[in-house]
Amino acid sequence: MHGFANPARFLRIATWATPLCLIAGLLIASAALVWGVGFGPADALQGDVVRIIYLHVPTAWLGMMGWSSIAIASFVEIVWRHPLAGIAARAAALPGAVFTALCLITGSIWGRPAWGTWWVWDGRLTSMLVLLFLYFGYMALAGATQHDEAPGQGQGRMAAIFGLIGAVNIPIIHYSVLWWNSLHQPPSLSVSGVVTGTGPMATSFVVPLLTSVLGFTLIYTGVVLARMRMILADSQAEARLRRKAMAAQARSGALAEGW
Amino acid sequence: MTGTGLRAKHQRLVLLGVALAVLLVAGLLAAWALRNQASYFYVPSEILAKPPEADRSVRLGGMVVRGSMKDAPDGVTVNFLVTDGKQQVPVRFAGIRPALFVEGSGVVAEGHWTDGLFTADNLLAKHDEKYTPREMQGMTTDQAHKAIAETK
Amino acid sequence: MREALDPWQFVTAAYAIGAITTLAMVAGSWLSMRRAEKRRDKVREIQ
Repeated sequence: MHGFANPARFLRIATWATPLCLIAGLLIASAALVWGVGFGPADALQGDVVRIIYLHVPTAWLGMMGWSSIAIASFVEIVWRHPLAGIAARAAALPGAVFTALCLITGSIWGRPAWGTWWVWDGRLTSMLVLLFLYFGYMALAGATQHDEAPGQGQGRMAAIFGLIGAVNIPIIHYSVLWWNSLHQPPSLSVSGVVTGTGPMATSFVVPLLTSVLGFTLIYTGVVLARMRMILADSQAEARLRRKAMAAQARSGALAEGW
Repeated sequence: MTGTGLRAKHQRLVLLGVALAVLLVAGLLAAWALRNQASYFYVPSEILAKPPEADRSVRLGGMVVRGSMKDAPDGVTVNFLVTDGKQQVPVRFAGIRPALFVEGSGVVAEGHWTDGLFTADNLLAKHDEKYTPREMQGMTTDQAHKAIAETK
Repeated sequence: MREALDPWQFVTAAYAIGAITTLAMVAGSWLSMRRAEKRRDKVREIQ
């Protein structure tokens, strides 16, 4: 029962942090999208179709962020057996998968007018598709083992180990455009380029784009918190029901030896 | 008790099967992407150094040399040179060109390499990592950055 | 012969899919959280 001490503290913060993140995220993301799509500049070469970037880049970032969260939380789950870590890893899977899918869909819609094709099997696109399949595999594994009593033990560990192994794909996605010839262009954003304003992307694109990334990251955080609260509430309710069933059985005198 | 226990176990087995199938598909996709050292196309110096067989379908990528794009009299065919900064090779293409296929920009051509000419069946436009507002068209990126700095 | 596509059709399609999916995910996660917490509170009340 020691594990429920920390979830209590988590719930105290998450109660107000969840709606705060979701509302602030939705407001900031909508403002950034209206700004970029409605008032931002068109690209000199690509024209108006470049405006898909304000959706494509945040979803790509969060698709990779989602698996990074799973990997870090899985590591904490395996090493320290922290019960909240297993819950956090499971909670991050759905938003991560949704944003990865959105990244692939918006990229495909952007690719048709910009490249002349909906899809190519180059390193970046393929490794991102592999990430989506990794999410599906993780969710199936986590779903198959979610009824185990304690996270981080027995079968619950399989999902955590899978989460750690799958993290290999994250650097592959990032470096795919640098290691191999690909149709996808190399990164446009870098810390030094943004700070000095001399990166390959003009500042009038960078500012609404980073605002959009901030907004979507807050939405992602809010969704992860909401799903953590959901998983926590489910396991608390199940633990309570199990204890009650055990007490009732003990009262009726039907004592099983294993207990 | 035993009934639900069995069903839960069955469900777990099915889900594990799904997970394994998904992993297999992911692995196959990775292998598919990693063929030819995972490079999506040849660049001109590679195709000149190690020419592929004429019947093999390959991709050629590089920059369209400025001033090299020539329209054939039939109105459909276009000839141009593709460079990687070291070597350049001639390309011929007949068909509908993507909107962003312009001189000085990137291109990936799908087709065949025969006797020093690349005959493309399909053209893909490849853009670089630079994003410049349309109002600053004609300026180089450095000029554009200067213009932005001056208006601040 | 150059391809001429209307860029706004692609921009609109991308944002329609993005907005609907994101809002559905936010609403779905919020509602299932509320449902799970209500159930937990109900289970706690019954002694």
